[in-house]
Amino acid sequence: MSALALNGLTKRYDDGLLALCDFELEIPEGSFFGLLGPNGAGKTTLISAVCNLIRITAGDIRVFGHPHHSIEARRLIGLAEQDVNLDRFLDVEETLVYHGGYYGLSRRTARQRAREMMDVFDLHGKARTRAPKLSGGMRRRLLLARALMHEPRLVILDEPTAGVDFELRMELWRYIRRLHSSGTTILLTTHYLEEAEELCEEIALIRGGELVARDTAEALRDAYDATSLTDVYLKAMAG
Amino acid sequence: MSELITRHRPLFWLTRREVLRVSKLWTQTIAAPVIASFLFILVFGLSLGGRIKRIDGYSYDVFIVPGLITMAMVQAAYSNNASSVFQARFDRYLHDVLAAPMRNWEVNLGLSLGGAVRALAIGVSLFGLSLVVVDVPIAQPGVLVLAVVLALLLFSALGVVVGIYAETFDHHTFVNNIIILPLTFLGGVFYSVSRLPSPWQEISRANPIFYLVSAVRYGFLGTADAPIGLALGVTAVLALAAVGWSSWLFRTGRRLKA
Repeated sequence: MSALALNGLTKRYDDGLLALCDFELEIPEGSFFGLLGPNGAGKTTLISAVCNLIRITAGDIRVFGHPHHSIEARRLIGLAEQDVNLDRFLDVEETLVYHGGYYGLSRRTARQRAREMMDVFDLHGKARTRAPKLSGGMRRRLLLARALMHEPRLVILDEPTAGVDFELRMELWRYIRRLHSSGTTILLTTHYLEEAEELCEEIALIRGGELVARDTAEALRDAYDATSLTDVYLKAMAG
Repeated sequence: MSELITRHRPLFWLTRREVLRVSKLWTQTIAAPVIASFLFILVFGLSLGGRIKRIDGYSYDVFIVPGLITMAMVQAAYSNNASSVFQARFDRYLHDVLAAPMRNWEVNLGLSLGGAVRALAIGVSLFGLSLVVVDVPIAQPGVLVLAVVLALLLFSALGVVVGIYAETFDHHTFVNNIIILPLTFLGGVFYSVSRLPSPWQEISRANPIFYLVSAVRYGFLGTADAPIGLALGVTAVLALAAVGWSSWLFRTGRRLKA
């Protein structure tokens, strides 16, 4: 079964900008899928469409076979956005517990799961700290922990390591790999080509709202007669 | 019953979050408006009240309490929801809610209830405090409950709508300071509209807040400037329009989703 299937997805913003044009994509269940492209390529629009954060112009989105706007589909997705979008009135533990509540967890389950997440992401020491007082790295951890609170089957990570230091990036990679090894499907967007090559089983290159290429890193190198993914990217984006 | 609770658990948590926000900021959200309105009762009611004739059989300090409670409640319901929704949009934390497995009406209701709870806390506190200095009756409890429910529906929904449309924090304070506050003051909070000379009386009757103040005053005192059926009817129509507007925004995603 496909974890995510996009058929003819089109998004034209109110100002006339065509961000995605008749976009087709299928991501198999259990895969680690990377989405690469320059700023404005349509990566965040695609993610926002899947997560019901924008109104799509045309097309169909299915999440494990469910229409993306259905309650069932929403329960199956975990999203860590590129921008830090934490609730300033909640502390770390409350952020996790309330998110669990929004996804239907009982109070007891949400608290237990929040403790587990704080253990995994080393957030226990900041349990009573409100989001605005956290360091950048802690906020990134919290975003990821929040996305995983309700144990989603499809985790969407939009530039999860943007602006974090090398140590934290390695740490986040470890978390993400562990997550994938437990069977979770992961859709990752990143500007770091080495991150995509290191983590993703399959990579899609997207430019101007259209899919340019899609394959494993090795197959993409062969197809573009390139020695590295950077070369592939440069050739693909040059059109 | 337990299935119903499980089904609507996300709504419960969103409502709880909105109430938590109110309680974490209780000095601003509850104490400040209660104290400000109580000062109105003390200053206008007790110091000036002796110089003003009885209105509709009640002393002036008793007459102004229902209007002051109404004013404090509707402003709280409005400004709470407008600022909470605007902040949620501005910080983009709203995405966490919009992506969650919640129905559109649940998101709308959850975001609205924070203002309603805050307004009720203010109304009950102010009423209790006013009893220390004046003897305010509740002549028509059924009418009072209905009038308060309609007022909360109207201003909670209006706050959500303005919070969705606002581009800056100033927009929601503009609506409060330039529209709601003047209309409330001119809606007969401090005086009986029926005592105004023409054309001010007719102009006052074109003010929708006048009917809301009249409905709440009727609930407390059993008497008001407008017929109770008309007062409740006008307030109900306005409440329906505001709720319809906010429901449309959540159903279509306009202004909430690009």
